[in-house]
Amino acid sequence: MAAADAPAGENTGTPGTHNTHAGTDGFTSGEQSKGVKGTRAAVIVGGNRIPFARTGGAYVKSSNQDMLTAALDGLIARFGLQDERIGEVAAGAVLKHSRDFNLTREAVLGSALSPETPAYDLQQACATGLETVLGLANKIKLGQIESAIAGGVDSASDAPIAVSEGLREILLDLNRAKTSVQKLKVLARIRPKDLAPDAPNTGEPRTGLSMGEHQALTTAQWKISREAQDELAFNSHRNLAAAYERGFFEDLITPYRGLNRDSNLRADTTLEKLSTLKPVFGRNLGSEATMTAGNSTPLTDGAATVLLATEEWADSRGLPKLATVLDGEAAAVDFVHGKDGLLMAPVFAVPRLLARHGLTLEDFDFFEIHEAFAGTVLSTLAAWEDEDFGRTRLGLDGALGKVDRTKLNINGSSLAAGHPFAATGGRIVASLAKMLHDKGAVDGRPARGLISVCAAGGQGVVAILEAA
Amino acid sequence: MSKPQPVILGELPSLSKLYMNAAATAARRRIMGSSAGQATLPAVSHEVKGVQADVANLTAYQHLLGETASDILPAGFVHALAFPVSMSVMNRDDFPLPLLGMIHLRNHVEQLVPIQFTEALDIRSWSENLSGHRVGTQVDVITEVRSSSSGELLWRGISTYLAKGVFLPGIDKPGNSSGSGDNGNFSPPDPTALWQLDLDIGRSYAAVSGDFNPIHLSVLSAKALGLRGSIAHGMYLASRALADVGAVKSDAFIWDVTFEAPVFLPARVALDISTIQAETGAWQRSDYVAWNPRSGRRHFRGSVAPLS
Repeated sequence: MAAADAPAGENTGTPGTHNTHAGTDGFTSGEQSKGVKGTRAAVIVGGNRIPFARTGGAYVKSSNQDMLTAALDGLIARFGLQDERIGEVAAGAVLKHSRDFNLTREAVLGSALSPETPAYDLQQACATGLETVLGLANKIKLGQIESAIAGGVDSASDAPIAVSEGLREILLDLNRAKTSVQKLKVLARIRPKDLAPDAPNTGEPRTGLSMGEHQALTTAQWKISREAQDELAFNSHRNLAAAYERGFFEDLITPYRGLNRDSNLRADTTLEKLSTLKPVFGRNLGSEATMTAGNSTPLTDGAATVLLATEEWADSRGLPKLATVLDGEAAAVDFVHGKDGLLMAPVFAVPRLLARHGLTLEDFDFFEIHEAFAGTVLSTLAAWEDEDFGRTRLGLDGALGKVDRTKLNINGSSLAAGHPFAATGGRIVASLAKMLHDKGAVDGRPARGLISVCAAGGQGVVAILEAA
Repeated sequence: MSKPQPVILGELPSLSKLYMNAAATAARRRIMGSSAGQATLPAVSHEVKGVQADVANLTAYQHLLGETASDILPAGFVHALAFPVSMSVMNRDDFPLPLLGMIHLRNHVEQLVPIQFTEALDIRSWSENLSGHRVGTQVDVITEVRSSSSGELLWRGISTYLAKGVFLPGIDKPGNSSGSGDNGNFSPPDPTALWQLDLDIGRSYAAVSGDFNPIHLSVLSAKALGLRGSIAHGMYLASRALADVGAVKSDAFIWDVTFEAPVFLPARVALDISTIQAETGAWQRSDYVAWNPRSGRRHFRGSVAPLS
């Protein structure tokens, strides 16, 4: 628990002193843009998502398959992929019905893509969407496929509800019973409590704490103030609203079911309004509760997709090349016994990824840190700025460094847009790819962006994209 | 035929009231003797303006039929949306054929332009081509769906119905009627799909289409109308085949179906969809045929083809 005692938020002023600089470990800049030496580049052609809706809203009757297909069909229409055989499609959902075992393939079959397009499902909690991008990008880099669609979808409105464990066992036994007498005996075992349905929740199986309660522990540990969290939430709404105003999402979103903007967005919210909300997480932790419905993401429905390809594939169809997928890294933490916070795995993934490419936080033009909670982002930044934590936990000479806040989530993030778990990765990748393309080159190198997504189970996936 | 005179209805007629009225008319005609006898169709069209699809109902329809849940109305959904208007034409006192017990022989749909669910629609319906059939009298009910804002024709349907056992003066039986369901030389191909239709599929389709015709709802209500059990809606079967054809049909297409032996519920229905491609690989047409896998009797057949 060394981190708990460290002064949170202290800036050592010497960020990145431990790191070697780009180009000193054998990468030339040309090879760097292709990720791993000797492989070809995986480029992001573009993305499409449907607006995210607060649970019980516009997509209340829409299934995961409906929304994923809608996002896919929007992507197909945008890039003229009707009847095209794509190398592979990968997507997933966190809250998934057992009947949706082939969710992505079913969405492909319902879409305008060629039915000869293979697909697979992937699930890594909230990192699902980003992991589909990384996995498919690797296949492209290795020469296995020329094109791919990555994505994710989630519905909190149409969540699966299972029968209780007791009833499930009885029903299975009933199926095995042969005679009427045996069947009656099995049925007689049913008790009223067995009939209570088993709805999914965001609780961690090993700790019994909800994700919000876990984050409340981390937020308190890093001494993140209520004001700082509300300010981050305010910026998220303000930035997202501004991005809509200047038409940033026009080639990233297709309306669905009458919705053309994320319904969680409160363009008119103020710091005063946010400060009046009552805390909802961490009320029994002893220290002051700071996490409200305003600085935590709400349950949301939505889907997002990203089109990936080789440069040749994009060129031959006259399609844009927004950015390349440079590399990615996954990490996990021991949150079960409180060594680290549940959502702090990206804190460890990023330094490893940066070291592999000889980069520091100063070498990035955009940071996309998924806002599961405002406290998650701020705890992550605090850990990276903490010298003691950098030395003892990250194995560095000092603090990892400081994220320039003017480069952080500049077009809004999950606090404003909402967070349909598996869809968030696709939202971030497509938006960042566009931002990088618009930025172009910085000091003679391609504009560069860092993505960080935390996930349930104490996991995290991070990635680097570069302007193509 | 001269252009039918338009009658504007204030709102979509209630199908349940239409069926009640049709039942009352049938009973009255039975007691009072048939008032039918005139062999002309009413020279009017019925129109409802500004009709809008209900999004929850659209989603339920798409889920039931296996359609992709896009914002575009499936062609069969438009048929269901417009059905009360065409029913109201057939329910007029001066309509020469009894509405209850009519058999849907054929359906032809031209989907000219994709229709967004948010679009306000003007729906107009009238009847044409009263003609003789081997076993009764048939009629075409034409329905046109236009954009309320632009007036553009988006969807056009022709439903051909048969009043079995009704023969009107001056209308001759044809020598060789079309659509008579000649099953003589049908040998079933290998199926591409096998549908398991439960007893409640009639009620499920009634719930999403609004078509609560008693012959589809339960064994009892069907028996009351002289059938040996409830039967699947023809448009349910045809719309499901259309959904199975899938996205290949693109934006503008013609969709035809000819109904033959009814599907008594519950049932297993075998289906074959064959795709006809040009030498370039471009889609030319999808033909479908469905039959009873046990008896080999054909239930319906049809095709989906691009609208050129």
